[in-house]
Amino acid sequence: MANIAEARIRREFKEVVKSEEVAKCHIKVELVNDNYTELRGEIIGPPDTAYDGGKFILEIKIPDTYPFNPPKVKFATKIWHPNISSVTGAICLDILKDQWAAAMTLRTVLLSLQALLATAEPNDPQDAVVAKQYKENQAIFLQTARHWTNVYAGGPHREQVLEQKVEQVKNMGFEEHRARVALSSANWDPERATESLLNS
Amino acid sequence: MDSEDEMNYDEEEEDSQEEDSNDEDFVDIAMEPEPSTASDSRETEDFQYEVLTADKIVHVMVECIKEVNAVVQIPATITRILLNHFRWDKEKLMERYYDGDQDSLFSEAHVVSPYRKDPRQKRSTRGSTSASTSESMCEICCLVIPHTDMAGLECGHKFCFQCWTDYLTSKIINEGMGQTISCAAYGCDILVDDVTVMDLIKDAKVRLKYQHLITNSFVECNRLLRWCPAPDCGHVIKVKHYDVKPVRCTCGHTFCFACGENWHDPVKCIWLKRWIKKCDDDSETSNWIAANTKECPKCHVIIEKDGGCNHMVCKNQNCKADFCWVCLGPWEPHGSSWYNCNKFDEDEAKKARDSQEKSRCQLQRYLFYCNRYMNHMQSLKFENKLYQAVKLKMEEMQQHSMSWIEVQFLKVAVDVLCSCRQTLMYTYVFAFYLSKNNQSIIFEDNQKDLEHATEQLSEYLERDITSELLVDIKQKVQDKYRYCESRRKVLLDHVHEGYERDTWDYQDGL
Repeated sequence: MANIAEARIRREFKEVVKSEEVAKCHIKVELVNDNYTELRGEIIGPPDTAYDGGKFILEIKIPDTYPFNPPKVKFATKIWHPNISSVTGAICLDILKDQWAAAMTLRTVLLSLQALLATAEPNDPQDAVVAKQYKENQAIFLQTARHWTNVYAGGPHREQVLEQKVEQVKNMGFEEHRARVALSSANWDPERATESLLNS
Repeated sequence: MDSEDEMNYDEEEEDSQEEDSNDEDFVDIAMEPEPSTASDSRETEDFQYEVLTADKIVHVMVECIKEVNAVVQIPATITRILLNHFRWDKEKLMERYYDGDQDSLFSEAHVVSPYRKDPRQKRSTRGSTSASTSESMCEICCLVIPHTDMAGLECGHKFCFQCWTDYLTSKIINEGMGQTISCAAYGCDILVDDVTVMDLIKDAKVRLKYQHLITNSFVECNRLLRWCPAPDCGHVIKVKHYDVKPVRCTCGHTFCFACGENWHDPVKCIWLKRWIKKCDDDSETSNWIAANTKECPKCHVIIEKDGGCNHMVCKNQNCKADFCWVCLGPWEPHGSSWYNCNKFDEDEAKKARDSQEKSRCQLQRYLFYCNRYMNHMQSLKFENKLYQAVKLKMEEMQQHSMSWIEVQFLKVAVDVLCSCRQTLMYTYVFAFYLSKNNQSIIFEDNQKDLEHATEQLSEYLERDITSELLVDIKQKVQDKYRYCESRRKVLLDHVHEGYERDTWDYQDGL
């Protein structure tokens, strides 16, 4: 089986490298080790979304039973999205679970993930806090997602108000990322954020 | 067989017209039924059933498919998938087949309609569509493969043999899927039929597993079939019509056909199921609670006493009641100078105890029935040892001038003892869910009578048998087991009569 997995990945690798999406710099895959079991994927945030212009790194692990079982994919870049855990980067996407089909490829997976960034499924969330914000306070959600994209994925759009708030909480002696998570989860209410930081 | 196996897929497609006539053979080949070894027809009273071996089940399955095929002339592989979709209910399938939109029926069951002649699927893999290439890329392994080494279902998605084999093996072995494996293409829900699976899978282990999975789903779906629940017994009971009746497998295990539990007359399947769940859930816990705790007289939270002082302060923050552990009355009148409770007759303490009693009553009641049920179950296990003892005794008696036929009464006695114990065990389940009325009082009398007689019989067989004169014993034991048997019959008849006349009231919410 492992032989099929490797042969397949070699082929797919070439397919992705040659594909027109790569030519337009939208997706990319790289080898992490020589035996094709670990790969590093990269997708660019789709335009006209909060993730626009961000570069998101993906950890891809190929199981021995590939392509009969799906690859294990998670975000290495921190991201604020209802279907992606803001803590671990784990992804909730049907084709990576029971809807996987042997004829799917790395290219289709990466394109699906890109599509997921454009259309979230808040009713089937991976991260409940983010999903709640998405449903109840869309404006704040978009700002937060844009801010995270800017900070962690090198996106071009800065959210200066939010940056100031992070700075403010950081100056109280909290680590920057923790401060950002607390603020994001508290809909950017500094008081509630510090309270949750003090209680944790 | 093998020559058929090697038959090429392309030919099969081209020959689809002839396929109908070959179908029966295909099914036989696919399932590889071995010559049947055992099938017993049995009858108890008017309830007819057969014990089937796993191989025989395959025949039953094939028969069922043939029967349907005789009417609806479609390939057997499709019939099988349709039947599985309708949980092997022939009538329902026929009804839908002639009565409605056949296309929606086929798509619901995830097969391509055999009547649809879409040129896309008819493309010959021998390269007639694109004369330039006789090979294309398999979408799973991404290798370029000659068309002759590729296969696919009616949906038209084609993959190479190796990938199909790996795909099916992974589904069968790792995911335990049988009849529900679909085409490997993304978004395609067309099911893989058994002939295709058998053609593609050569590994005997995987084939066997697949056959097991298919047979199992056939038995599980079919109301008239049930696996024998005894460990490692692979037999199946097939009944003429579904009913709550005891069936006996060739392995010796007797069980209720309707629910698969040990034969549990007089209690009904649903109550027994509830009872077993209740016992599994909480018998240990409630035993411990009953033995070690009391309830706070004010908020009824369950309290375990962990110190010596009888002055209890409830730790439930919303309650904080002060009370005496001994009498459960409020602590105040006890004053601070006593360590001891002598307030037994005081009204308030009595009221507290009463309410405690009430809430404990349910638990007590359950434990009452549970203990008796467990007790008979335990004894029943021990009676199996009795067979051994009795066998020795019978040999001994035969040496004392008694004939073989004359000593058989001992074995019969143990048989009766066991069946009485089993009946008694389930009478307690029945009684637990029963509300008191005139009939239930009669039932309890019957139960008491049978229990008393059963215990006496048990005692005779266990103790007296060694001490007294053989001839005396014989008379005594025979009288007793006849009496037991007749009491058992009386009790069961009474319960059944009650079922018929609807005289039993049940306690709900237990």
